[in-house]
Amino acid sequence: MRNPSALAKEFRKYGKAASCPIIDMHGHFGPYQGIYFPADTAEAMMRIMDRAGVRMIVCSSHTALVDTRRGNPEMAEVVAKYPDRFRAYWALNPNYPDRMKEEIEAYPEQKGFVGFKFLSDYHKVAITDDRYGPALEFAQEHRMMILMHTWGNSPYDGPALIEEVAKRYPEVTILMGHSGYGEWDRAIGVARDYPKVYLELTAAYHANGVIEEMVQGAGSHKMLFGTDMPWFTPHYGIGCVLCAAITDEDRHNILHRNAETLLRLRGVNLEEDDG
Amino acid sequence: MEMFDCNVCLGLPYAPSVPPDAYIEKAEDLLDRMAFCGINQALVRHIAMEEESPVVGNQLLIREIASFDRLEPSWAILPPQTGELGTPDELVARMKTDGVRALWAFPSKHHYLLTGTTFGGLFEIMIQRRIPLFVSAKERSNGIEGFAMIEALLRDFPKLVLVATDHGCWGEDRLFRPLIERYEHFYIDTSRYELAGGIRDFCDRYGPHRMLFGTGFPEIPMGGAFLTLLHAEISDQAKAAVFGGNLQRLLREVRL
Repeated sequence: MRNPSALAKEFRKYGKAASCPIIDMHGHFGPYQGIYFPADTAEAMMRIMDRAGVRMIVCSSHTALVDTRRGNPEMAEVVAKYPDRFRAYWALNPNYPDRMKEEIEAYPEQKGFVGFKFLSDYHKVAITDDRYGPALEFAQEHRMMILMHTWGNSPYDGPALIEEVAKRYPEVTILMGHSGYGEWDRAIGVARDYPKVYLELTAAYHANGVIEEMVQGAGSHKMLFGTDMPWFTPHYGIGCVLCAAITDEDRHNILHRNAETLLRLRGVNLEEDDG
Repeated sequence: MEMFDCNVCLGLPYAPSVPPDAYIEKAEDLLDRMAFCGINQALVRHIAMEEESPVVGNQLLIREIASFDRLEPSWAILPPQTGELGTPDELVARMKTDGVRALWAFPSKHHYLLTGTTFGGLFEIMIQRRIPLFVSAKERSNGIEGFAMIEALLRDFPKLVLVATDHGCWGEDRLFRPLIERYEHFYIDTSRYELAGGIRDFCDRYGPHRMLFGTGFPEIPMGGAFLTLLHAEISDQAKAAVFGGNLQRLLREVRL
């Protein structure tokens, strides 16, 4: 292998790297409609995380994306059981405003959650719709982080809409899940122009050359690693990052450093957790 | 361990779906890219075979990779009825001359029915000579697409060695596993098998001999499928089979 990256050599040999404890900022949990998962329990996910040196994953329960009342508590149980490996997003569904109001009010009591999760493309409500207002106002007031599903040219969560939200709620840290898949230039521009908007790489990494474009356009300090696990194995995304024409410093930023900073701001100190 | 990528394409497309400089035009550059990632060998096609015409692309590929032993050529088919690639016997004779041991079908762009009516004669010869046919699971023919199209083909030609490439990453096991169980000459490549724990689960159930290592390069970076298989929870022997042993066996069994 001619790749000069020290990280690539270490991952190739061991499947993981001690100096690069990966943080996966886009995970899920439990079964889902259109896919067979061989590894959707917390224990199976941790087995796969261990093989790839994934230190921690931040998840939203699949159930919570459909029914927040059943799903968010399910995720809370996982985090309570494995607090050193799992953190979670509190999922909200704007189609049920009364429930969403209750969920927002309940959020401050929750342990182990680091922000909200929006899935606008699936809920068929544009991220700029008034129904998201209460959640975004709350997030703005509390300087929260939100993982938003984003997809290129989507009428619900395309990069142009994310830009509107970023403009209107500048204190909210927005993780653009899937990096506005396919509408790369626009997504990169939003991450570049808005200090609290990040490109999250789930699935985006498999578009050859896009990681390099993101590093050039937005900078590796605005990129985060994610896998949708239990959908995708971490080694696939890691392999794409390792073979991209970027530096190991960029790889460290993407694979763990930026996430460590964001999580630290939300009370997750991974160094302390390491003992 | 020999790493033999079954799904690599040379050449520049009409409309790049990834940044234009992600594409590779020359064989030397492809070999450099393979060496960068640690891949030894590749079964290659030329994008002109699909986007221009097999009449042009098949020969262009042979000229482009002629001096490079580590690049194995594959060609595209067209309906024998139009005679563009000659009769099935003539096509096989040219394959023998040019050392081609695998064929691809692109029914969507090439505007034909991938059925027995069109290709029955050629497929019977391919079965006799054990020539594998590669088809992307993104293809469409006769009003059906993906694994529905592939199953229709396998139902008519169950002994055809058929490799489905590029199955989507959004969960297709429920689609292709029944075909794996029913058709013993059916294989899938790993280019989009991103499923967490998928390779282990598949190999536990079906063994490692129905899966071929592929990257889907240049649409997809080589590193993803490579690292996934390298550290999959399967034995070294199973990895060797998927990484290269299975494809080498399929090509060795071809009788031209």
